[in-house]
Amino acid sequence: MDEYRTRVRIYAGVVVFVVLLLGFRLVQLQGISGATQDGVPPGSAVRTQFVEAARGAMYDRDGTRLVDNRPTYTILLTPRYFDRSKAPLLADLLGVADSTVHRRLEEARTRNAFRPTPSFREVSFETFSRVQEHQYELPGVTYDMDLRRRYHTSARAAHTFGYVHEIDDRTLAQKQSQGYRLGDRIGRTGLEQAYESILRGERGRELVLVNVHGTEVKRYRNGRMDEPSVGGYDLHLTLDHEVQALAESLFVGKRGAAVALDPDTGEVLSFISKPDFDPALFARSVSASVWDSLQSNPHDPLYNRATQSGYPPGSTWKPFMALVALQTGLLRENERLNCPAGYRIGRRIFRNHDGKNEGRITVAKALEVSCNTFFYQVMEEMSLNTWHDWALKFGFGQDVPLNGFRQEPGLIPDSSYFNRTYGRWTQGYTINLGIGQGDMSVTPLQLARYAAALGNGGRLPTPHFVRKAVHPETNDVRRPDVAAPTHIPIDSSHFEIVQEGMHRVMTDGTGQWVQIPDVPSAGKTGTAQNPHGEDHSLFIMFAPYENPEIAIAVAIENAGYGATAAAPIASLMAEKYLTGTIADAWERRYWRKRLREEVRSAPSIEADTSASPPATQAATQSPASTPASSRPEDSFP
Amino acid sequence: MQNSTWKPDPWTLLLWGGLVAAGLMALYSITRGPAVEYLSESVRDDFSRQFLWIGVSVVSVGIILLLPVRFLRYAAYPAYATTLVLLALSLMVGVEVHGTRAWLALGPVRLQVSELAKVGTVLAVAQLLSKRHMRTGQDLSFALEAAALIVAPAGLVILQNDLGTALVFFGLVPIVLFWSGLSLTVILLMVSPAIAGYLALLSIRAALVSAVLFTGLLWWHSGQRSIAAFAATFTGGVTAAVALVLNKILQPYQVERLLSFTNPGAEQFRQGVGFHLVQSKAALQSGGLWGTGFMQGPQTQGAYVPEQTTDFVFSVIAEEFGLVGSLVVLGLLAALLLRLIKLGAEVKHPFGSIVAAGAVGVYLIHITINIGMVTGMLPVIGLPLPFLSYGGSAMLANTALLAIVLNTHMRREDLSIYGY
Repeated sequence: MDEYRTRVRIYAGVVVFVVLLLGFRLVQLQGISGATQDGVPPGSAVRTQFVEAARGAMYDRDGTRLVDNRPTYTILLTPRYFDRSKAPLLADLLGVADSTVHRRLEEARTRNAFRPTPSFREVSFETFSRVQEHQYELPGVTYDMDLRRRYHTSARAAHTFGYVHEIDDRTLAQKQSQGYRLGDRIGRTGLEQAYESILRGERGRELVLVNVHGTEVKRYRNGRMDEPSVGGYDLHLTLDHEVQALAESLFVGKRGAAVALDPDTGEVLSFISKPDFDPALFARSVSASVWDSLQSNPHDPLYNRATQSGYPPGSTWKPFMALVALQTGLLRENERLNCPAGYRIGRRIFRNHDGKNEGRITVAKALEVSCNTFFYQVMEEMSLNTWHDWALKFGFGQDVPLNGFRQEPGLIPDSSYFNRTYGRWTQGYTINLGIGQGDMSVTPLQLARYAAALGNGGRLPTPHFVRKAVHPETNDVRRPDVAAPTHIPIDSSHFEIVQEGMHRVMTDGTGQWVQIPDVPSAGKTGTAQNPHGEDHSLFIMFAPYENPEIAIAVAIENAGYGATAAAPIASLMAEKYLTGTIADAWERRYWRKRLREEVRSAPSIEADTSASPPATQAATQSPASTPASSRPEDSFP
Repeated sequence: MQNSTWKPDPWTLLLWGGLVAAGLMALYSITRGPAVEYLSESVRDDFSRQFLWIGVSVVSVGIILLLPVRFLRYAAYPAYATTLVLLALSLMVGVEVHGTRAWLALGPVRLQVSELAKVGTVLAVAQLLSKRHMRTGQDLSFALEAAALIVAPAGLVILQNDLGTALVFFGLVPIVLFWSGLSLTVILLMVSPAIAGYLALLSIRAALVSAVLFTGLLWWHSGQRSIAAFAATFTGGVTAAVALVLNKILQPYQVERLLSFTNPGAEQFRQGVGFHLVQSKAALQSGGLWGTGFMQGPQTQGAYVPEQTTDFVFSVIAEEFGLVGSLVVLGLLAALLLRLIKLGAEVKHPFGSIVAAGAVGVYLIHITINIGMVTGMLPVIGLPLPFLSYGGSAMLANTALLAIVLNTHMRREDLSIYGY
């Protein structure tokens, strides 16, 4: 019987072996791989739904809401669970043809028959509600709500806000580690991009139990594993939306840019680049055709002229020349130089604008009458590299410390530039630099800082858009680091002389027709010659004359004299900002009407399209011109 | 008859009760929990019907325990013949469910004849082999008779298109013959091709390694070169056949279907053949260590796991009661089988002992294939888990078989009186 007993043991051994094998497998499946990292069990029963965080809103300097969010609804289909006989019902509720539902169903099936696929985007709230009411009889039909940007005021500020758009594959590849997922929306330009990290907030998640038809049953574990979304910070901007809106309305039919700063703090009061686009376009799913039209538009509405277009500053450069000459001892306050109609350098004759001879005049007078020949003489005395070094001290030829915006540094040449570019060169090549012409360019933003420094006596402020970021739920406040103003090493007495000259521009000179009623101001017009078409119209100003509160630079392409396009816009902006209204005087009515109706920049587009954006031709030669780069976002302490 | 007392083994009854209770609990969770609204009408009453069938089974246990052992031996062949007739009948007038024509409708009751056939076959083969005592243990012709006895119903079951149940019959052959003393060499010769065949599905290399091992083992064990040659031919032949079938004969999609269990989550399977396995494995993982709680399993209550009242009932227990629950059930099953082996060993008469071995064989094959399938180690082969899965015929047949073992053990002295 021993053999029999052995067989009993073997049999029992086989049973034990099989059971152990199965037991190990169970331990492997349930004990080891059972718990997943984020606590979400595998399988189809628990679905993770992401809860989008509300993107931070934006307010202007007075607390007016400029940008916030609106909900949009998407209907999703899960083909595997969709009951085809219900297609007519769904089509009915959505108000589309049956065939559309079938087509979307097929599209979804090709992606993944088991996963909900967004099939009807941006349905109205009413449509969404109808579908929601019938959801119980529509297996495989689910919905999603997400938030899109909503713009509240008539100030578009497109280049300030920037836009938010679905993340592209390349960006996604870089930012996946920061939690971005396919289909997420991300700030692409402007403040939306610069402050993406604090506007965005944190996505939450909800775990829901879904039944085999793909419909939600209830919260998984009563929501214990859910993570709520955390909204982003609201931005409190420095913009004045009324000034912004006014300026935008005055830019009708014009290309160019305007930047208004608080000269003491560097707060950006107004920031315009035209043509622009409607940022609300991007709040919808931008169709390919809209996108193409924006990109192929000859006016290039996505291009930020305020920071990327370099213009020759024209006569707005003369206050700089005066200050450098006074500081370096080339000129004294009461020293008089001749202002002949023409000035000969070698075999070329350089002329005043209108060929006028002003006689012997002081520097303040030279500013008032914008005498070219006066400043030719100054430029002839000044070494090119002195000129170059001082221009850099005024913030030209380099990026402005304003993070998150694409910039061009502009062109401020030195002798090595001329050596490189022309080989042999004479003063005939550089004399034009004395009146802001020739091989140089500056951006409207640089000009605005310069205007601020002229107004405040030599402090070059750091432009910024955000006063503070406030979290709407916690009320946590974060303030951006704003660098202190840079001091320009020029005596304040010299500034006073130049300010006096700029004041006389407004009272007796080229700016006398754009004075702000009852508010003394100082300004300088500029008319920059442009080889591609009509002159560019430029203007810088600050007001009030004593203790300025606003400094503005305006550049309008191909608009002719500075006094007839850029100057009135700057003046009206300053008045609106300082007084809150526009005085009911005939000059003011005249300018408003004329600016709103007049098309200035348009006719020369034909010439421009070949070399658009127009006046950057100087900038593109610039040795300092690096590829436009966007810098890291503002850091918060 | 004189010595026997009416004392069925209490441990067996207790284990049976535990398993039946676990099965009922799972069925209750499905049919009374949130999942019920996703179940088809026919499934919703599974709990109550199972309850009823358990009642019927308990009555059958009572009746069987009253029967004298001699009656069981006399009844073995008629019972076997009856089940063969019923199988044939079901092929002609049977009801088809899921493509399998295995049910006979008797008024409101549907009988799955192949389940009953297992009982008849075990009885018949026990009766046949218990006459063997006059012959030598090495007699192969007896083994062939026994094998034929078992394979006959298997053939009919295959005609019913129920490969899973047929596998049980085939698996029974080596088990019963092993128990009744057929040489280990021959048993190994029978088993080795099956193991090589399974391995060949996973990896031809593993199959070849096993073929070499089996050949060496048999050579060493038997010392006969001819046996080694047989082993090499069988294992190598099966491996080659599987390789040939996979690579040359079957269409690629058929191969994929067959092998889908190795990778059910693959995109091409997860919505089709792999669906069962993906969802079942997900249920197991979802259960984790401690389970999600009674009526709380997301996979179970979302009705994701198909056939969860029948073939996949184990995934319900595993999800809602976790690894702890599934190991407890597995432990109960193991304890029952080992207990039955012990009972069988205590019966000295071959009839009773072979019945016990056969019963254990039937259960073991069911358990291996069922849990192997639920845990994704085996392809989806539709076999219920004994005592737990919903299914009246199976409950009745498995319980009756158990009762027969209890009876022969209880009356083992009766048998020995006219045994040897």
